[in-house]
Amino acid sequence: MKVRQLFLIAILWVCTYANAQNKQLLYDFTEVPQSLLINPGIETDFKWYSGVPILSGLSFQIGSSGLSAGDIFAVDGLDFNDKFRDQVINGLSNRDEFSGTQQIELINIGFRSSDPSVFYSMGMYIETDFVLYWPKDYGILAFEGNAGRLNQEFDLGDLKTRIEAVSVFHFGINKRMNKKLTLGARAKIYSGILNINSTGNKGFFVTREGQNNIFSNTLDADLKLRTSGLNAINIAADENALASTIIKRALLGGDLGLGVDVGFTYKFNEQTAFTASILDLGFIYHSSDPKNYTLNGATTIEGVEIILPEALFNPSRDFFQDLVDNVEELVPFQENEKNYLTFRPTKLNASLRYSFGKKLRAKGKDDCDCDIRSTANTIFPKYLNSLGGQLYVINRPRGPQAALTAFYLRRLGHAMAIKGTYTIDKFSFANIGLGVNFQAGPVNMYLMADNLLAYQNLADANYASLQLGLNIISWGRK
Amino acid sequence: MKRKVFYFLAILMVCTLSCSDELDFSQTDDLEITPTFESSVIFIESTEQLINLIDGSEILSQSFNFDAFSSNIFAERVIEGELTYIIENTTSKPFELIIEFLDDTDVVLDTETFNVQPAPTAILQRIVAYGDTGKSIDIIKTLSAFRITARNLGDNTSVSNIPNPRISLQSSGKFRVRIK
Repeated sequence: MKVRQLFLIAILWVCTYANAQNKQLLYDFTEVPQSLLINPGIETDFKWYSGVPILSGLSFQIGSSGLSAGDIFAVDGLDFNDKFRDQVINGLSNRDEFSGTQQIELINIGFRSSDPSVFYSMGMYIETDFVLYWPKDYGILAFEGNAGRLNQEFDLGDLKTRIEAVSVFHFGINKRMNKKLTLGARAKIYSGILNINSTGNKGFFVTREGQNNIFSNTLDADLKLRTSGLNAINIAADENALASTIIKRALLGGDLGLGVDVGFTYKFNEQTAFTASILDLGFIYHSSDPKNYTLNGATTIEGVEIILPEALFNPSRDFFQDLVDNVEELVPFQENEKNYLTFRPTKLNASLRYSFGKKLRAKGKDDCDCDIRSTANTIFPKYLNSLGGQLYVINRPRGPQAALTAFYLRRLGHAMAIKGTYTIDKFSFANIGLGVNFQAGPVNMYLMADNLLAYQNLADANYASLQLGLNIISWGRK
Repeated sequence: MKRKVFYFLAILMVCTLSCSDELDFSQTDDLEITPTFESSVIFIESTEQLINLIDGSEILSQSFNFDAFSSNIFAERVIEGELTYIIENTTSKPFELIIEFLDDTDVVLDTETFNVQPAPTAILQRIVAYGDTGKSIDIIKTLSAFRITARNLGDNTSVSNIPNPRISLQSSGKFRVRIK
């Protein structure tokens, strides 16, 4: 039991502190191989690369709109219950969310084909994704109750959450079609480790003046909680086989699914480019360990109702039990083990980039003033500066969620590149991020952090993200 | 090259050094979740026509199971509350209404007695508190059944001139419970 509790706490911690995240710093940062995972159609100039296992790509992101840790946990002498009531119960809306994503790359390699216009990349990563929209009406009902709230309908549709852990095996092809267009696609096989989701709920609970008795309570519910992997993990925890069960489910022993990423880079001219990608256009079929719970039906009760002479004719009748049975029959709580399908949280990225300043020589070429176009790996040269805007949209249970980013990228020779971003989204209107890529010979390191202004006081931050990684890259000559 | 290493390390430091106001997550220990719920409890009704058909004065003396309050999910959490009774009599007869609270061994825990005047009469309403400011909350926690006795203190022939004459007992409970 303790192991199970620890595991669930760990999952919640990882999920809470770790968002199918907006990687605006990494997007179109072509010096970093992992940018291929966000747009398989970027311009690549690597001969080959290999990520250092486990260390090649680590990314974490947390977000909570409408609330920061400092709002309720600050040591300010205020009564915690007052803060919780003001900031959470009365402060948050049902569109506010707590979300997080964590991604760990286990393998990531890429190599150029014998056709120098084609670059292959492949690997495996594990991703956990969590989103919980604040269930406002449930919160009010739990914290305040229904007393004194006559005719107020508590919306049961406020419950929307998704928790997912999935391993992804991927293979991508990047092809430079001509001087203007580079296309890319990535096929993905998903192996679902854990899925818990409760979306599309409907219904209400309301207390009204009764027809016979003082009050009537009406429950009209269409609620669904679907899980897969949770049961297996619980059993494994009891049998001290948690690690092996998770590994097995991660290595294609879980729920299987298919997906695809597509992307492109189109250059209007040598300095101006438009890029776009759609990621995780796919699904997972949860069939390995489904366990689902439903509450579906409608009823109105006014307490135990005894109308004479009925009670006189049948003195042994249990009116209370009849009421309970009637409610259970009309609004049954049921379990089933039906397979189900979930769609991946599809993401859209797009950018418009203008490059200017001094041209850089192609990586891998001798230190000469030879024409940049003479390399096979890159058609256009890189410039010292790039400036542009990016759009990010992710499909969430409450509909699409967007972010807009302005960026500036500065290259300091081939050894270093810095990208600064300013992003507005539902978490923050002042999100400044900074990413740096450092190349020491074949060793490539990158570190990217978001919402830097919040680092002045993390307690007041609504959002934070961090990405880092270590790769070995060869440009070589082809 | 050295300068670039310096830049990298400087940026790394900027990214990793941060400040934060002091936070105390143990404040969650102080969180009290004590909502108040209200719902109808029991409703009994009889027409004057039926009452006139019953010989003798005792028109009802019967126990009705009611395990809602003694179920663990409620009994272990209830702090305080109140029961509200509303008795409406539009018949021509006065009544005595006795509600006994029984535990699961039929021991009487508490009794509420109502003397109801014949029509035209005001609606009789009584609110009984349980908990610190009222009767013992244990009465509610151990309640397993209501024994309800209704006595006709009038005749068996008269009929009220109010349309559809009847006597009814409405009741509701409003209780504060501790979830955390």
